[in-house]
Amino acid sequence: MAIAKAERLMNLALCLLGTRRPLSKRELRESIEAYLEAGSDDSFNRMFERDKDDLRELGLVIETVENLDGETGYLARRDSNRLPPITLDAEEAAALGLAAKVWQQARLAGAASGALQKLRAAGLPEDVDPYGAHGALEPRIPVHEAAFEPLMLACRDRRPVVFDYRKANAAQPGQRHVEPWALECWRGHWYLAGWDRDRGAERVFRLSRITGKVRSRSGRFTVPVPDVVTVRETVASWAGETADRSARIRLRSDAGYPLRAKATTVRELGDGWDELEIPYGHGLDAWLVEFGPDVVVLEPAELRADVVDRLRAVAKG
Amino acid sequence: MAGKPVRPVNAIDQTRRMLSLVTYLRERPGARIEDVARAFGITEDELVSDLDVLPMCGTSFRGGDLLDIDTDGERIWWHNPAALGADAAEPLRLAADEATALLVAARAVATLPGLRESDRQALLRATAKVETAAGEAAGASSRLSVTFESEGGVFADVDRAIAERRRLWIRYYSPARDEVTEREIDPIRLVSVGHTYVEAWCRRSEARRTFRLDRVAEIRILDEPSAPPEVELRDLSEGLVQPSAEDPEVVVEVGPGGRWVAEYYPHDSADELPDGGLRITLRTPDPASLRRLALRLGRDGRIVEPAALAESARQAAREALAAYDGVEAAG
Repeated sequence: MAIAKAERLMNLALCLLGTRRPLSKRELRESIEAYLEAGSDDSFNRMFERDKDDLRELGLVIETVENLDGETGYLARRDSNRLPPITLDAEEAAALGLAAKVWQQARLAGAASGALQKLRAAGLPEDVDPYGAHGALEPRIPVHEAAFEPLMLACRDRRPVVFDYRKANAAQPGQRHVEPWALECWRGHWYLAGWDRDRGAERVFRLSRITGKVRSRSGRFTVPVPDVVTVRETVASWAGETADRSARIRLRSDAGYPLRAKATTVRELGDGWDELEIPYGHGLDAWLVEFGPDVVVLEPAELRADVVDRLRAVAKG
Repeated sequence: MAGKPVRPVNAIDQTRRMLSLVTYLRERPGARIEDVARAFGITEDELVSDLDVLPMCGTSFRGGDLLDIDTDGERIWWHNPAALGADAAEPLRLAADEATALLVAARAVATLPGLRESDRQALLRATAKVETAAGEAAGASSRLSVTFESEGGVFADVDRAIAERRRLWIRYYSPARDEVTEREIDPIRLVSVGHTYVEAWCRRSEARRTFRLDRVAEIRILDEPSAPPEVELRDLSEGLVQPSAEDPEVVVEVGPGGRWVAEYYPHDSADELPDGGLRITLRTPDPASLRRLALRLGRDGRIVEPAALAESARQAAREALAAYDGVEAAG
């Protein structure tokens, strides 16, 4: 039976951590059963390279040293792999325990519990019910977008990417070459900020509009990454949250609670209608139309025309 | 679908867990399986599968220094802890992904309005300590961020009602009907998936309901105790709205400008149309609630089925237009 990969990785990790002098590939092959069974040199070499990458992925610092005979040796020095001393009290431990549970993305969920396990091994206090202290709160970070993981890795490693992106109103997706800076989740959706090479400008992309695969490009970033990357402000302006004008509408008395909640003034007209002053930003026309015959726009004329235009389109069917 | 989600076995996750286990078990001879599984946040079955692998591991399978770890089904014994040098079993530094996953989540949770102040302080202290311990590995965590949205005051009241097991009175806005209703609810738990929701037993409908906190117009904690019936908690990882197969079907056709509908509404299918639009089939217990959608879409899309829903949207638009004629005539 093939030897499980976890067993092979564990043995390689223990060999590299346990040695005080660099071990050659030959020595490692003779010490680890799975490598002896690997068959040809080629398949062993491939397996060994992959395994080293996997161990580095989980945080192991593996050094490559050439010995006096010119042979390459490997070791994981204790001082570069040891967790610095960290002391957390029971409250802090419980708070981290809650935080470690919030990811709904397999890779990050695995990494978060891995982090907690390392801290546990370092003496992180345990309590009987780690989440009891936090009552009924269950925050979750949703990740439904397939583009998330490749973009997360590209942001981490500062690698340029290329992907097909469908703009909100575009019939066909277009290819975008991007230097990815940061990902941000807002209102349950993920956005990417980065340098758009084709447009020569900073852009924000919504991950759910990326179609097909995200592919890495060789080479480095050509533009310095800013210290502060603002995603939320850009998205908020798309969502019409940066209103700079105001509009006057009539609203049926028993309707439109969210409009009332946003209104700066509400005046009862007495005939079953109220008059409201509300902030007017991008997207207000589409929102007002949702209320159908319960809303009448008074001014500005431009908004009134947009709403009438939309209503005519619906009335035609 | 309740209970722990089944995790696929991932060799990297298992290896990192076993490396931590070795350190942990070395300090705790005779540790109980139950306790170790809980400390590591894994099932007892997962722990037992690790314990099956560990005896095959060591610094050399030839030298005879494999880890002699076994279990009697209740406790775990390690008979040769000296098989690993004293310093070969020290806790390992955090990897970049581990630091990122933990720090980004901790910072996000700390932004939750209504989080108890003592908990927030504990979380901020812990975050600072983890940042220091992670060193360089913490750097990549600045490339991800998450903000939870919730209404601070409402959140705090719901959280308190759950802790004190008390009933709540709310005025709640339902966008489907564009109406605000009063109801008494027995809160069960708070859930944050993008927006923050309270799952509760609604005394008005005598059924389990989910309320979005930013739609709560008014809230009061009542003196009556909360007594929700025992309900099985659903796994909400697939989203809060889980239409059932018996719900009526609605077909919406949108142009390129209406493709967002497929992002916001869970649907059975979304087929590409030649003009760059989509034909979306979805299910909802209350098709009338989609009249708002039809109105919002304007020229970017229309309801195809059911016909009655399409007609009610057209009717609403005609009525609304009539009001403009009236105003214009009067002006």
